[in-house]
Order: sequence, then structure tokens, then C-alpha cells
Amino acid sequence: MKQKAYEIDNDTIIINRDLTNLDLFLKEFLDILKKYSDYLVVSGFVSISTGRTRGTEDIDVLFPIMNKEIFDRLFKNLQEKKFWCFQGDNAYDVYGYIKKLTNIRFAKENQLYPNIEFIPINETRRTKYFEFAHPQKIKIKNFEFKIPPIEFEILYKEIILASKKDIEDARHLRKFFSDIINNKKFKEYEPIIKMKLGEK
Amino acid sequence: MEVTKIKLNGTQQEIMKIKKIPIDNLDYLELYAEELKNNPKLFEQQKMLIESQIISSHSIFKKMFGNKNFKEEARRYLRGIGVL
Repeated sequence: MKQKAYEIDNDTIIINRDLTNLDLFLKEFLDILKKYSDYLVVSGFVSISTGRTRGTEDIDVLFPIMNKEIFDRLFKNLQEKKFWCFQGDNAYDVYGYIKKLTNIRFAKENQLYPNIEFIPINETRRTKYFEFAHPQKIKIKNFEFKIPPIEFEILYKEIILASKKDIEDARHLRKFFSDIINNKKFKEYEPIIKMKLGEK
Repeated sequence: MEVTKIKLNGTQQEIMKIKKIPIDNLDYLELYAEELKNNPKLFEQQKMLIESQIISSHSIFKKMFGNKNFKEEARRYLRGIGVL
């Protein structure tokens, strides 16, 4: 039988393709991050990792706010592995951004793109916290990571982000995953996503 | 999508029959996603595009900032464009 672009193995989406250098960049970052924190990969990379053919500059990664000591260890470990932070070289200073729920960025030394947009969340960011608490596993070769439920990602792009690029990403996901999309989930997620419109 | 067999370059090949003539970007995007679903070989093109972008970015910013003071120069640039 002809191989399909994806299959479902238990609760994991398996994408049948080779790893790209963009996947390897994210894998390297997550291998470090996972030692200190949970995470969720969201937005453009969800579409790109499932075949959307477009360029990207960053990969968005949500993480729950961590205390200063853990952040300090994570930051130093990232530096040891040759990542640099756009916002500064000192964990203490950069933690100020995290405390204020401001995103920070990491790239590999002597590179600007691709970079990781590292997005702190807590319960006050209800929509982001919801997707974070309902991860979908996805696997490409030996690289397994967590993304939001596909239906959630589609609606988030259509309702909240809604730029031309996001509408195209959402359309790609709708078509590519048309065999596994659950319409009941759209109804379940829509009010949760619309809460975001009322958030700052 | 319906599959049909035709002879191309002397060999029998399976191709997808499209239901609707694509007109705009979204139509082409849908057509590609549908084709990709059944033809994972198309991922190879995507890999080439992604990796060429990474190589180009690396080369552009290396030329702009050099290696010696890369971070400082990059931060100055990022402040200039409003990212920092």
C-alpha cells in the first residue's frame, strides 16, 4: 500500500518525512528545555511541520512561568549549548522579562534566524493555558514534540491571528488533516478561543 | 480526490484528478495539501525550501554583523527595527 503523509499511532500523529534543519534546531532547544520545564510548540511551526511550504523566521514555544533559580539553570545550559538570547547575556536581567510575561528570543550563536520565540504563560492567559493543558503529540522520525489540538490551532489562526499567512496556514491544516478533524472539537474550542478576544 | 492512470514518458503513472480549477492562492494551497496527503515525496521540496532559507539567512547576517561582535551588532540592528 502507498505510504500516506501521516498516520495516527495511538494518540500520536506520525508525519512521514525526513527531518529538516529547522526541526533539528527546535529539537536541540527542546532537548535542553525539557530538563527544566514543560512546553508547547504553537503557531506557524505546526503548519510548517505538517507540510505547509513557506519560510519562517521563528518558532513559538509556550512555557509556564518558572522560578528564578530554574530559569537561571536553563539559561546557562542554553548558553553552554551555544544559544544566545536577544534580550541579554545575564539570566538575572532576562528573568525580568519573564516575570512580566514578555516574550524572549533565542538563536544559535552567530545566527539571527531561525530563532525561538519563548513565550511565558500562566493561568491569567486563559486561552494559551488551555492549549498548553491539552497537548497533541506529533512525531517526525525520532523527534517527538507537543503541539495544540489541530482543531484548536486552526480556530486560533482563523479567529485570533487572522493575517493572510495565518488564514493560509489554517486552510492547509484543514485540508491536510481533513480525515482526522473532529467537528465537535471546533464547537468545544470556539468559545474558549473567543475568550482571547476579551483578554488584553 | 479521484486517481487516474496515464502514460507519461512511456511509463504508467497515477495522477490526481482535480475537482475544481484553482483560481486563487487558497485554491492552490488546498490542492497542494490534498496532493501532499497522498504523496509524501512532496515533503522533499519543502525541506529544500526551508533549508535554503536557513542558509541564506545565515549568510546575510554573517555578512552584516561578522563573527567577532555578532551579538552586539545584531542587538543594535534588532533595536533599530523595533524587535528589542
